Amino acid sequence: MTTAAAGTAQGPAAESYLHHGRGLRSWLFTVDHKRIGIMYLALIAAALFLGGVFAMVLRMNLWWHGGGLVSNDAYNKLFTLHGAVMVFLFVIPGIPAALGNFVLPLQLGAKDVAFPRVNLLSFWLYSLGSALFVAVLVVGGVDTGWTLYPPYSLEGARGLGILLALAALFVVGFSSILTGLNFIATIHTMRPPGMGWFGLPLFLWALYATGIIQIVATPVLGITAAMGFLERLFHLGLFMPEYGGDPVLFQHFFWFYSHPAVYIMILPAMGIVSEVVSVFSRKPIFGYRFIAMSSIAIAVIGFFVWGHHMFVSGQSKWASLVFSFLTMLVAVPSAIKTFNWLATMYKGAIVLKTPMIYVLSFFAIFGIGGLTGLFLGSLATDIPLHDTYFVVAHFHFVMVGSVLTAFLAGLHYWWPKMTGRMYGETTGRLSALLVLVGFNVTFIPQFFAGVAGMPRRYATYAAVFQTNNRVSTVGSFILAAGLCLAVGGLLASLARGRRAPANPWGAASLEWSAASPPSHHNFDRTPTAGDPYDFSGLRLVSEEAGYVRAAGEAP
Amino acid sequence: MTSRLLEPLAAALLAAGPGYLPERASSVAESVDRVFGFIFWLSLFFLALILALTALFVVRYRARPGRTEPEPSPSHHSRLELLWSGIPLALVMVVFAVSTVAWLGMIEPEAGKDPLRVQVTGRKWSWWFDHPGGQGAAELHLVAGRPTELVLASTDVIHSLYLPDFRLKQDAVPGRFTRMAFTPILAGTFPIYCAEYCGTDHSRMTASAVVHPDQASYDAWARQGAAEALSLLDLGRKVAAAKGCLACHSLDGAPRVGPSFKGLWGREEKLADGTSVRVDENYLRESVLKPGAKVVAGFANVMPPVPLEEREMQGFIAFLQTLGNAP
Repeated sequence: MTTAAAGTAQGPAAESYLHHGRGLRSWLFTVDHKRIGIMYLALIAAALFLGGVFAMVLRMNLWWHGGGLVSNDAYNKLFTLHGAVMVFLFVIPGIPAALGNFVLPLQLGAKDVAFPRVNLLSFWLYSLGSALFVAVLVVGGVDTGWTLYPPYSLEGARGLGILLALAALFVVGFSSILTGLNFIATIHTMRPPGMGWFGLPLFLWALYATGIIQIVATPVLGITAAMGFLERLFHLGLFMPEYGGDPVLFQHFFWFYSHPAVYIMILPAMGIVSEVVSVFSRKPIFGYRFIAMSSIAIAVIGFFVWGHHMFVSGQSKWASLVFSFLTMLVAVPSAIKTFNWLATMYKGAIVLKTPMIYVLSFFAIFGIGGLTGLFLGSLATDIPLHDTYFVVAHFHFVMVGSVLTAFLAGLHYWWPKMTGRMYGETTGRLSALLVLVGFNVTFIPQFFAGVAGMPRRYATYAAVFQTNNRVSTVGSFILAAGLCLAVGGLLASLARGRRAPANPWGAASLEWSAASPPSHHNFDRTPTAGDPYDFSGLRLVSEEAGYVRAAGEAP
Repeated sequence: MTSRLLEPLAAALLAAGPGYLPERASSVAESVDRVFGFIFWLSLFFLALILALTALFVVRYRARPGRTEPEPSPSHHSRLELLWSGIPLALVMVVFAVSTVAWLGMIEPEAGKDPLRVQVTGRKWSWWFDHPGGQGAAELHLVAGRPTELVLASTDVIHSLYLPDFRLKQDAVPGRFTRMAFTPILAGTFPIYCAEYCGTDHSRMTASAVVHPDQASYDAWARQGAAEALSLLDLGRKVAAAKGCLACHSLDGAPRVGPSFKGLWGREEKLADGTSVRVDENYLRESVLKPGAKVVAGFANVMPPVPLEEREMQGFIAFLQTLGNAP
């Protein structure tokens, strides 16, 4: 029996995972990876909304160079929470925990992840960590910046907020570690017959590389948070000069996690791009092995570049030299991926549906984000640009622009599988265009402000930078409108969307051979994997029935 | 021959691209901008390449009636892929080399003689500049063409002294000294910012660098209105006496319980453990706060730690510097 036939056979007749059990308890105590993924998606969307509201207040305050909407202290708390919520509750868990959880077992033709209960524990830890962040807000917030540099962050005057924030990082970190562990174990042990390591969909290679970073780097975040906690309470003399500690030591610890964390964010995004660009070019991905191996290369080299955040901190000259050199190396795997994606489009039959438009936006945004990294990895130019708006613009292009466009590409791509509904294509495309335009209008002026010398984390600023900031604020409204439109379009489809076929895009990886939405057990029998990028036998029956593998063709 | 052709071209590109760069007011600014210009054009080329190929492929290979299937083309091509791994690798190595050469010129101490040495103190939320001769000010005063050395300290949290027109930035870290060396080349007044987040008024922790056109102009400034507060040097002299340092450390070169202060600054000292150390700000700070850490050979480890306020420490070091370098 072909896999496609299996999909249709179990189609609407089988009870979908959404109806397998009812009531709140059936969700909160589920061990179904799909439901856990959906719950993550809901919380992550809430985090994006919260962080986004903070960002809009910041941008409005910056409309006037003298500030004026909020006090300096309030501004400082807002940018701290904007950064912390976006980084730890949206961008880091976003793709792996929400989309990864849903898709990974399906792409393996499996019933669930290797450790379903651990997966639920991971979700609860994430919820607990999020609750602690909300508690930080309730007790009055913190104004330390998400980077938490001592001595400032651990000064005696700081109250409960900083302790809650450090506890939140500790807890959220464990959630991330457990997810990475689960994914690696699942990919190792639960591949279906016919799927060797080089038969994995590239999204899984990306999640595997991400898992390595989550397991190795995230414990250091936990250790750092614990050390900060103890330093604050017991004055151990780790980071605070007044007790005999070294504040620069904290920076090493912090960036040992937080730089690889950037790759926790971007690798899964690259995985989505690899899937979407191939499916919507109707062509096998170009240079599968180079793309897979470059994910691993990024994960490994990414561990040794943290000191490029510290070129003006007073770290040793030799450290700066080595970190700059390694930072340059980590640019190469990203370049390889980019050219391979472009080569995938070459001579394809490119279908401009919403996921693909988001991916094309990704090329532009990631191109700018990656290339501006060269200015910051190289020593001479980093000295003036460090801690200016150039850095703010650069990391928003990579961590926000690239990850967000890939996330939205993936969300639209797998939405029919997750919900059983097709989103509205016009709304989706329009949202992608608004996001692309809004994002660039917001952040490109910040490069110019940074080069001209505007430092980051400024509640007020010199009048010469006002035009840059006003354009940026206008852009942020366009971006917000694009995101609202995307979310609105997706939510509207839940009520009004056309029913999704098992395989609406003509993709060849295994998740598309399950029903849309899948049954509780995903597959009635373990499917046999074929080449995830061989679209040759797939024929479009109709928009309603989607693609079906022609009889007689190899699965 | 080629360089004669390329140099004006490079200069033109440099001027055309980053025309929005601030003034080049220090000796290092031009080399930084050269690196900036190089990376700028390199990045722009690759960005244009990525966007052009994306646009071209979308237009040419867009699915449409009559084009529902892709054309046959290889699914991998190792030589091509090695090529587009190798070219970026070579280019980033060139970027690294060019940038590192420029950077080494930024961090090495200026070879120039008679540097103007200014002690910079960051504190929430203002800068303080102690100039030689005891002139303290909330503005940094420099002389165009005169090599300058800034020694940075902080009394509370990490700050970062940022001079955009000089293309320079250095963190001021509590508990240690950091330094920057350069030569201002343009007379004028330039903004100074704090670039490391430090709390409520971080964004108002600004100052100005006043670069005098010549030494005479600087001297005229330094003479007028002598600082009301005790100058750094006077404070240091007072600290040395008041904390009892002079009981064991002479000012005339004669060793007593400890080494004499005379000629100590800048000297290479042999230590009890056989290594040697150069007497600089960080060594002096360590020796005052943790006297047992690096004991000079021939002396007993008997000195008690002497906790000093940050400004006292700076004053004490300024005082030692007046006692002459090693002969």
